Amino acid sequence: MILIRLIILSLFIFNTTLADTIYNLIKIPNLEIYETKTENKLRYLYAKQPFTIGLDNNINCYDSKKTLLDKKYQIIKKNLDKYDQEFLKKINLKYIVLCEDLSISNINTAGIPDNMMKTLILDIKFNEKYFERVIHHEVFHIINDSFKELFSEKIWSSFNIKNFNYAKCSTCTDKLGLETYVNTNGFFSEYSQSTASEDMAEVFSHLMIGVDKVKVDPILKKKIEFIKNNLFKIDKNFIL
Amino acid sequence: MIKKIKASRSEKIILIFIITLALFSFGSFFYIKNKCLFIKNYDPKKITFDNPKNIAILNVPCGNVIIELYPEISPNAVKRFETLVRSKSYDNVAFHRVIKDVIVQAGDLEFGKKETIDYGKIGTGKSGLGTISSEINTPFNFDKGSVGLARTQRYNTEDSQFFIILRDEPLYETEYTPIGKVIYGLEALKKIKYLDKSEYVLRPDFINSLRMLVD
Repeated sequence: MILIRLIILSLFIFNTTLADTIYNLIKIPNLEIYETKTENKLRYLYAKQPFTIGLDNNINCYDSKKTLLDKKYQIIKKNLDKYDQEFLKKINLKYIVLCEDLSISNINTAGIPDNMMKTLILDIKFNEKYFERVIHHEVFHIINDSFKELFSEKIWSSFNIKNFNYAKCSTCTDKLGLETYVNTNGFFSEYSQSTASEDMAEVFSHLMIGVDKVKVDPILKKKIEFIKNNLFKIDKNFIL
Repeated sequence: MIKKIKASRSEKIILIFIITLALFSFGSFFYIKNKCLFIKNYDPKKITFDNPKNIAILNVPCGNVIIELYPEISPNAVKRFETLVRSKSYDNVAFHRVIKDVIVQAGDLEFGKKETIDYGKIGTGKSGLGTISSEINTPFNFDKGSVGLARTQRYNTEDSQFFIILRDEPLYETEYTPIGKVIYGLEALKKIKYLDKSEYVLRPDFINSLRMLVD
């Protein structure tokens, strides 16, 4: 018994201070650099071990195999390369964290944006069909969080038909479908109908990916103009 | 009559061996205690610099650390640093945050002075000159020996605290304001006192002096 105690005690005594630069910068443990030499200065990090963060330790994500990481990195980078360094600086986005099975309060999610920490966590295992679109969807949340005054939910909601009401939060509704409507009715997808900010993010992400096959209705046209005008206010050179 | 016993040859060898061992142990006790034993102390007077007015000499327990400042990269930060150096504000200030082979940080003028050190507040002190804006837009390679101004979690909160990195830190670019690089004497910084279990050092080492080469 004494021996066991001594062994346990020695673990504490000889547990040295590890300098985790990434943790000091963005407060997420167990990350390593994947790529930093990018044209738009985004820094890509990956989980070398699972991590848990959040006020109540309610955000979890896991490490993934290198093959999947390498494959998904190419897709993510291709999409995020659409944003130049100046724009990313304005919206306060610098770190992209790649991990898998990302969840918040046990609800799986494609990404978690944190403009204060300049970080976007992405689930690289998220549904392949919508993967590229959700990257831009999450980027919009960073944009929105950084320019709250521009993206007024009151104005946005006024574009919808009179009796339409959004849910109180994106997880307090069962409108979670991401399939793009062929015939829109003010919304690009079912998920657009969850909250105003998710609706904006859906419009933005569809614009980034391209909406050639979609028949855009007058309400959606107003929404698209709203997004475009406000992005122009943030960065005159931003191309949609 | 006492009969004299002559030591055998092998006994003599053992005796000599024991005496040698004792001398070696005694001598090494003093040598090993000297942590600066193999650290070269650079004399700035014997070195020719391209820009002598941008050279600062940081004297630490194991000798001189010679820093070249880069006013063209971070003019305001270098100006602040020089102001504090010229007023000798950094003398006797603690290296309060040290991680072995990673970083040394000093410059808390309020709570880090040798005479009035406050372990409860060290690292949070101010210079009294106010904060300055971060200068992070110019590309800078934060490799081993880079010197930067420390800040809080927010930008534009740089004041008097500075750090020197002992390994490459590529993620520091566009995060921290660079002010210069150590060009001689980095080894002396590796001997600054650190703790195994904490970044913050109890009974830390202090800056002996920090001066500009040209007054």
